[in-house]
Amino acid sequence: MLTMAEAVREAMSIAFDERPEVFLLGEDVGIYGGAFGVSADMYHRYGAERVLDTPIAELGIVGAAVGAALAGMRPIVEIQFSDFTAQAMDQIANQAAKIHFMLGGALHVPMVLRTPQGSGTGAAAQHSQNLEPWFASVPGLKVVVPSNPADAKGLLLSAIDDPNPVIFLEHKLLYKIPGRDSVPVGSGRIPLGVAKVVREGKDLTIVATGIMVNKSWEVCEKLAAEGISITLIDPRTISPLDMQPVYESVEKTGRLLVVQEGPSHAGFINEVIAQMAGSSSFGSLIAPIKRLAGMNIPIPYAPQLEKAAVPQIEDIEIAARDIVKNWR
Amino acid sequence: MSFKYPVVMPKMSMTMETGELIGYHVKAGDSVKTGDVLFEVMTDKIDMEVEAPADGVIESLVAEPGAVIDIGKPVLIMLTETQIMAFDFSGDEAPVVAQPVALAVVEAPVPAPAVVLNNDVKAVPKARVEAAKRGIDLRTIQPTGPDRTIMMADINSAQADPAVRKRQSANKALIAKGIAMGREIPQSSFSRSVSTNFDHARLISSWARILRSRPDLSIRPQVGVAVIIESKYGSALPVFKDPDLMSLADLTSLISSTSSAAVNGKVPLEMLSGATTTIFDLTSYSMNAATPLLFPNQITSVTVGYESATTRNISLTIDLRYCDFYDGAQLLDALAASL
Repeated sequence: MLTMAEAVREAMSIAFDERPEVFLLGEDVGIYGGAFGVSADMYHRYGAERVLDTPIAELGIVGAAVGAALAGMRPIVEIQFSDFTAQAMDQIANQAAKIHFMLGGALHVPMVLRTPQGSGTGAAAQHSQNLEPWFASVPGLKVVVPSNPADAKGLLLSAIDDPNPVIFLEHKLLYKIPGRDSVPVGSGRIPLGVAKVVREGKDLTIVATGIMVNKSWEVCEKLAAEGISITLIDPRTISPLDMQPVYESVEKTGRLLVVQEGPSHAGFINEVIAQMAGSSSFGSLIAPIKRLAGMNIPIPYAPQLEKAAVPQIEDIEIAARDIVKNWR
Repeated sequence: MSFKYPVVMPKMSMTMETGELIGYHVKAGDSVKTGDVLFEVMTDKIDMEVEAPADGVIESLVAEPGAVIDIGKPVLIMLTETQIMAFDFSGDEAPVVAQPVALAVVEAPVPAPAVVLNNDVKAVPKARVEAAKRGIDLRTIQPTGPDRTIMMADINSAQADPAVRKRQSANKALIAKGIAMGREIPQSSFSRSVSTNFDHARLISSWARILRSRPDLSIRPQVGVAVIIESKYGSALPVFKDPDLMSLADLTSLISSTSSAAVNGKVPLEMLSGATTTIFDLTSYSMNAATPLLFPNQITSVTVGYESATTRNISLTIDLRYCDFYDGAQLLDALAASL
């Protein structure tokens, strides 16, 4: 069973083999094999021309990638921690996302920016954020948040194929975890903008992103033993967002719980709630929509506080059980 | 055996004192089924059709169309084969005539069918959608959700079949009346723990055998054990006659078939009377004790409660006019020993 780091590497390798214009650049992605070992031996397999170690200068890295993309290449940028994208935000939000529109469609930027995010590694406030709403609120960017190795592989291949800039947010804690489903062999793509119904139930719909899909799965298993059956939906791509399965599920269950790791205030998952509230499926709700998200604080360094700052399995379990028991 | 059953002017609102009989839909001698319209009445607020509470035959029409009748006064008399009550107050005496007090509460106020906006109540979105679809005024719904919010469960329970609701309230009124009569009996209760598991069949059979050995403690020669079970129309009390003379296997299957029939509101007529004692098993509700209540013409009543995984609490109430304290203690000990 491949881990997510291995699945991402496999997808990059397939793309490298399929298209000569695909290359990887970033800090320590070459000889060192990447901050989290994702590119590993790719430097040795593909050489320094296609796996580029760069200086510590995120704005320059992304700027180089945008330029290369405009010139017909398909760069994959790795930023060591998603927190560091702040340094590169002008190139991401003002250049990569806008050029296609501002030039009347004459050029496009087929760039993928991969970056690890999330808490749980004791890396404190500047290395632990979930910044997906930064990117999801910029039109012109596509944003992918994979929750398992198989999806990561298929989605990354689609991201590399895509003519638009795609931000690919990988949760650090998922890198070393094999998925429940094995990673398919070959170069199969998973289309962007298609949510996945991970499991189906009749009592509650949970929409969760990234690592929260895994935590919610544990809750689904546990509550199934209590006779509570849950539909779990992983949007996979948060921009564009596929709400159709969420509507269809809520029309059956009448109850919706949304879960993300990032802070609750103005978080991505609020978009799911807003679209549900404005949809024709609203009238199917038999319970108030419940949101679980991180606290509105910088991620603490102390391990206990770091854990307490974001939803854990027990939190999801309690919320799920309460909704089903209290709203009939 | 037929029962005379006066169908009375129903109370349809808190302020209603009289109603005008618009007209009859039946005549003397007609056979009617439960739910058939018998007559129509009019008040200052609403017109409504009054339905037959049970299958039967119309014996006589009491009032003239156009008459103004006090609530609770008979409008017609029916003869029914089914006693509406689920137990027998009367022993071997005259047939029971249901009392107006029981029937006065039969008709629940009917919600106005007008569609209103219901902006002044809290309700989940689906409840609003369903209320509009079904023509329910949300202000008439009792909210049981968090923060006094109307949930779908509230809508659904309010929408229970009116005929069923009518039977439920009649049933409650009759049981309440029976218990009220039983309260006048001088009585005493005992409790003890038994460390064993037993099923209904064993409990019913053992208790019947003990009572049979004490004919001095019975008003009637046979033993009839009424068992309180849930039915579509509320509590039902089917009577198992001489259960100690049946095999446990036969009794088990009779209990099972009776329980499933009762869920649908169908207790065989022959099981509606002849009780000499009553058993109420609380274990399935995780309750550990309740004082057994005496019904009229019964000298004993037993409840069984859940105490722990391996122990049960059994309680006995006795009628002190027939049974002294010593007899009561002996009966309860004998029951504990037999389980």
